[in-house]
Amino acid sequence: MADPRLFRLRVTFRETGRLALLSHLEVARALERSVRRAGLPYAVSQGFSPHMRIAFGAALPVGVGGTSEFFDLFLTDYVAPDKALAALQEASPADLYPTATRYIEPRDPAASVACPVSTYEVELSEAPRALVVPETVTVVRKKKEKTLVVADYLAGSVTQEGARVTFTLVSKPTGSLRADAFVRELVAATVAEGYAAEGLRPVSFLRVAQRG
Amino acid sequence: MPSTNLWPQVEPLLARVERPARYLNHEWGCVVKDDAPFQFCMIYPDTYELGQANQAVRILVNAVNATEGMGAERAFLPAVDMADLMRDAGVPLFSLESCAPVAEFDAVGITLPHELAATNILETLDLAGIPLHSDERAEGDPVVLAGGPCAYNPEPYAPFFDVILVGEGEEQLPEALSLIRRLRGEGAPRADILRALAREVGGAYVPSLYRWRDEAEAQAAGSWVEPLFDDVPPVVDKRVFTGFATSDAYEPMVVPYTEVVHDRLNVEVLRGCARGCRFCQAGMMYRPVRERSADNIVSAVVRGLADTGYDEVSLTSLSSTDHSQIAEILTRVNGACAGTGVRVSVPSQRLDAFGVEMAELVAGQKKGGLTFAPEAGTQRLRDVINKNVTEDDLFSAIDAAFAAGWRRCKLYFMVGLPTETDDDIKGIASLAQRAYDRAKAAVPPEQRGSVRMSVSCAVFVPKAQTPFQWDGQISPEETLRRVGLLKRSVKYKAVDVHYHDPATSFVEAVMSRGGREVAAWVEEAWRRGARFDAWTEHFNGEAWTGAAEALGIDPAAVAQADFATDYVLPWNHITAAVSPRFLARERARAAEGITTPDCTFENCSACGACPTLGADIQLMEERAGKTGAGAVEPAGANPYRTVRAAGSATTEVRSASEAAAGGVGAPRDPERGPRGEGEGSSEEEAMA
Repeated sequence: MADPRLFRLRVTFRETGRLALLSHLEVARALERSVRRAGLPYAVSQGFSPHMRIAFGAALPVGVGGTSEFFDLFLTDYVAPDKALAALQEASPADLYPTATRYIEPRDPAASVACPVSTYEVELSEAPRALVVPETVTVVRKKKEKTLVVADYLAGSVTQEGARVTFTLVSKPTGSLRADAFVRELVAATVAEGYAAEGLRPVSFLRVAQRG
Repeated sequence: MPSTNLWPQVEPLLARVERPARYLNHEWGCVVKDDAPFQFCMIYPDTYELGQANQAVRILVNAVNATEGMGAERAFLPAVDMADLMRDAGVPLFSLESCAPVAEFDAVGITLPHELAATNILETLDLAGIPLHSDERAEGDPVVLAGGPCAYNPEPYAPFFDVILVGEGEEQLPEALSLIRRLRGEGAPRADILRALAREVGGAYVPSLYRWRDEAEAQAAGSWVEPLFDDVPPVVDKRVFTGFATSDAYEPMVVPYTEVVHDRLNVEVLRGCARGCRFCQAGMMYRPVRERSADNIVSAVVRGLADTGYDEVSLTSLSSTDHSQIAEILTRVNGACAGTGVRVSVPSQRLDAFGVEMAELVAGQKKGGLTFAPEAGTQRLRDVINKNVTEDDLFSAIDAAFAAGWRRCKLYFMVGLPTETDDDIKGIASLAQRAYDRAKAAVPPEQRGSVRMSVSCAVFVPKAQTPFQWDGQISPEETLRRVGLLKRSVKYKAVDVHYHDPATSFVEAVMSRGGREVAAWVEEAWRRGARFDAWTEHFNGEAWTGAAEALGIDPAAVAQADFATDYVLPWNHITAAVSPRFLARERARAAEGITTPDCTFENCSACGACPTLGADIQLMEERAGKTGAGAVEPAGANPYRTVRAAGSATTEVRSASEAAAGGVGAPRDPERGPRGEGEGSSEEEAMA
């Protein structure tokens, strides 16, 4: 995969506002279209169905936005990072907007696994008196129920400031706990305990940091 | 001007529905002109992923936005899950751009894309909170317009619309809206506005200004409708956009986030098809044939790709490979897209070796399936329907395709065509099996196992304004019998047979041929839960049967009756500019198995469209390469055919680099709007 003749540009972008409701596939397609509109010299794969050489970071659940999402774009020619950024910004809507570009090494870890540690910030519809962090979260995957132990994925504690909740999840090679599933259980447990009224829901949900 | 923003009510619902991206707006390329004093909402009566891909909606929104003082927004019918949530929450149908209630717009246009959208029109009006019937609407309600293919028999929709626009809408719709705006500004009552529309806008049919006659009276009078006033036209001819050929082929488009059908840049290369298949409504309603120039098309592709970022461009029309410059166009478009990973597609394959050659030009290394439409299994029946295609044409196409690397082929047929016998059905099986043998012979022995041939059968639906409009549909039971015969006649395992559900084709036929009385059936079926009839999983046959019983009407009689050619049909007062005499003559020739040539290649067939419309066939060069029957007459002998020398096109097109420089970032600028020239409201990509 690592072609030394190509330039690997890491583009950081934000996914905000109503575009947080896009699926990962929809975001990927929209970003590819921005790259083409920007007129960057993107590399094209060989083979029966040639396509843009682009790789995306870890997926966000539908309804969760992000302030520091990223993708790697392989270019055939060097374009100064600030020029590439300006071209991408010209070609992007405000809610799916590139904020930084830099070149990284062709052999650096793939975008999808480069940053397993994600910090999320949730704004709830009201401030609960306290939070109840569930011990387990049950999810349905491929029609099978699976129970995940929260402690296996949660890094540090869940913090609360008024209606704002912040927490960090680590994804494992064996799987990960989806942030939206965790918050759904968190909200349900908190309401069940009587710390907030029925109808408690996230009004904004962002991934605010990703690191290795 | 709409003032309510429903987003705060819509947003909380989106966490609970499938594909929230359908309802978001904020797509790249959408134009917001919410400060214009007159606001129009263009609605496609199905979900976003079907409607957003529709070229007519795109063209009309652009044409209205290009009009001084007018803004156009889009709306689509929410999917069933969202519609139910909206009803529970009391949220009415909203436009995308401003998230404003549709009922607050000055005028609302609903396209009638196919016969199975009828209940969705009622669902749309009901969800919008607009009274379902024209005669229940108050002065403050929007003027509700319709247009599109089903306008050629408007009667089943008559009570639901204030005005129905027949024909190509790029000039007609802005004209109609300007008139509404002016009269509303003068304080004219609704009734006066409708009367003025009927009087002054060519192709405008206002159903409430005509009394509906009973059958005996209609047959005696020669029309089912009687104008209530002297200044209302007794017959409404379709409108044609005569500037189509020289107008810019680039139609700026919204780039959707969620995947839609035909998710690609569309460039309409020509309009119309004069091959003259006798069952085909599109072949009658977009006459005359008008080609755009290669320069115009190539420039549109380059600018369109730069503006949208799409990775696929489709050169659309009813018969793109018939374009006189198609080889040049495809070669140049290929050159422009080389190395970018952009795919080029040509949706309609001409059934001969030339068609395959053109498909090969753009296929690259990836060759999926090819689709051909012989339509009938025997030469006799192909002559009856005027499908000027022989077995040799099909086999030479198959030879070329499989030698070039294709391994899968789909063949489209119709069952229930007029005069069809069991021999014709068996002929489908025989043709498909022999096509499979030819395909196998054309590929290397070690690859023969991968050769696949599939047969797809639609049920013949008689369509208004075609030579077969007088011919009834076969019953659903008979369809199943014939399909069963076909399946038993196919002996090869590698040839599989698919067919359309005859129950939905039956509803299509009733909608296609019904008179004004059918509107009540649609409404009752909708009240009994019918909606999204074109979606297999939503089609509710019981609602339709129950509605017919409740109203005491016999839809089978509407769908299945055969009429003599002198019978006056319920759409006799509407024309596609093709004369009734031509349709009758074509029906008579069909009965005798005589074919009629394509007037873009050969003699004028005297259909009447050119003189009625004051328009001509416009070709860029003489068309060549057709292997049809009949003697080829000398160039220019057809009085209605004009051929421009290559390079003399009058279209002004910007250079590619200029366009690319101006394109990026521009779509968010409300000043930009679309270009001045509108384009056609073609519906070339049927979605059934």
